[in-house]
Amino acid sequence: MKKFINRPENIVPELLEGFALSHPDKVRLAGNNLVARAVPKAKGKVGVVTLGGSGHEPGLSGFVGEGMLDVSVPGEIFAAPGAPRCLEAIRLADYGAGVLFIVLNHAGDVLASNITMEMAAREGLKVKMILTHEDISSGSDPEDRRGLVGFLPVYKVAGAAAEQGSSLDQCQAIAERMERNMRTLAVAVQTATHPSTGQPIFDLGDDEMEVGMGQHGEAGTGRMKLKTADETAELMLQMLLDDLQVKAGEELLVIVNGAGATTLMEMFILFRRVHHILKAKGIKLVRSKVGEFITTQEQGGFQLMIARMDPELTRLWDAPSDAPYFVVR
Amino acid sequence: MTDRITRKQFAGMISGAAARIREQHATLSALDSACGDGDHGAAMLRTVERLEKAMGDEAGDLRTVLRDAGWQVMGGDGGASSSLIGSFFMGMADTPPECDALDCRGLSATFEAGLKAMCKQTKAQPGDKTMMDALMPAVTALCAAAGAGKSPVEAFQAAAEAARAGAESTKDLTARFGRAKFLGEKTRGHQDPGATSIALMFEGFSKALAESNGESGNG
Repeated sequence: MKKFINRPENIVPELLEGFALSHPDKVRLAGNNLVARAVPKAKGKVGVVTLGGSGHEPGLSGFVGEGMLDVSVPGEIFAAPGAPRCLEAIRLADYGAGVLFIVLNHAGDVLASNITMEMAAREGLKVKMILTHEDISSGSDPEDRRGLVGFLPVYKVAGAAAEQGSSLDQCQAIAERMERNMRTLAVAVQTATHPSTGQPIFDLGDDEMEVGMGQHGEAGTGRMKLKTADETAELMLQMLLDDLQVKAGEELLVIVNGAGATTLMEMFILFRRVHHILKAKGIKLVRSKVGEFITTQEQGGFQLMIARMDPELTRLWDAPSDAPYFVVR
Repeated sequence: MTDRITRKQFAGMISGAAARIREQHATLSALDSACGDGDHGAAMLRTVERLEKAMGDEAGDLRTVLRDAGWQVMGGDGGASSSLIGSFFMGMADTPPECDALDCRGLSATFEAGLKAMCKQTKAQPGDKTMMDALMPAVTALCAAAGAGKSPVEAFQAAAEAARAGAESTKDLTARFGRAKFLGEKTRGHQDPGATSIALMFEGFSKALAESNGESGNG
């Protein structure tokens, strides 16, 4: 493993310190290594909190900022944080109108979140939890589907609604509508190494790719010979369109999220093909994002996300945001 | 052989478990790299060190100490395993006052309450290739031994044996929970690291208890 780190046990505190120091006008570290906004939201607005393992930068703390999250609870490398820090984050993000707690569906995150919700209820805190689970490779049962880059539009629309003064119930409803209308599929071509242990997460042949790879390198189901960009885009987009049952005339948001080692060059080539296919099918590509929003170290591959939009979701997606890794003016 | 253990012995059992995890954490991480991301040993090390520290408070009310120990474990941020083991220890505090005596019945009731609390957080059952494969038989063996009037030393010996057998049985199982479930059939042939950790902890409990009992017997 070749990584610029110091002691393995210091990776998370050092990366958080550096992240906060590099965006001092936007974020600060609060309490027990929570990432919070530098300037808290006004009283009377809904707070938005998330949690997740580290090693996926800029996810998830890169989206703390005006118009998006209030507090993020970073865990250890690839491991969920525990309930105590989540509870601390919820207290911090409570401005008197309740807190929306956005959780990506992964076993450890869900366990910690359920315990957090119990403890928050005991303290009389007003919290609603929403689970994102849009990975179509992990079964047809929504409970089995993992939360991948779809967290991004959910943070965005819920964060915008909260910023505009919507109630907790309204923020939850908008987040749920976004969540129900999105689907993601990931593909991997190269393993990442675990930065603490130095071990590769999985093995993949030089000429192979694996469709359905999870966020932490959990193996997918479709291992095959490496395809061209166009073939890969066609295969993955069709699976997504079928699963979401997209019809001609509908409006989509498309996100191409690089896993860490896949270049923007490749992502643009892929996105171009997605654009061509949607145009040919008469599906409107109304918004798009191409870049790195959640990574897994130097893993090669990408996630393709599609989401069915409506005028309100698009308006919230377009609303101003000043998070370090998501600026909309 | 005594029927009742002291708070110091109880804390010693936790230290015994911590010692076993400390000895074996590299092995646990190696087991985890087969179907996970290879950090289970490090996470368990944080878990037992926090447990040991919290249980070191031998003067405090046991229930409060257990609840605090569980919360401390959760605060170790070790992913699913710290949430589960944390809920186990917090749950151990949910026993009726008559279980406060650290005799075999009280101890088994305390462990049973911990298991019950953990079961509220996960749907995993024995056979799903998780820590439940070791924990459930261990607690069952503990309760059976208590019911049969065995001493704490004998009961924890039985529990440790049951946990070990349960952990070994996971080799032939297919994962149905956590990240490993996405590997399905590929997980067969690998022993589950979570179940192995539980077996090591029970081995540590049993060994520490037997040794401390020997000391008090000699003294």
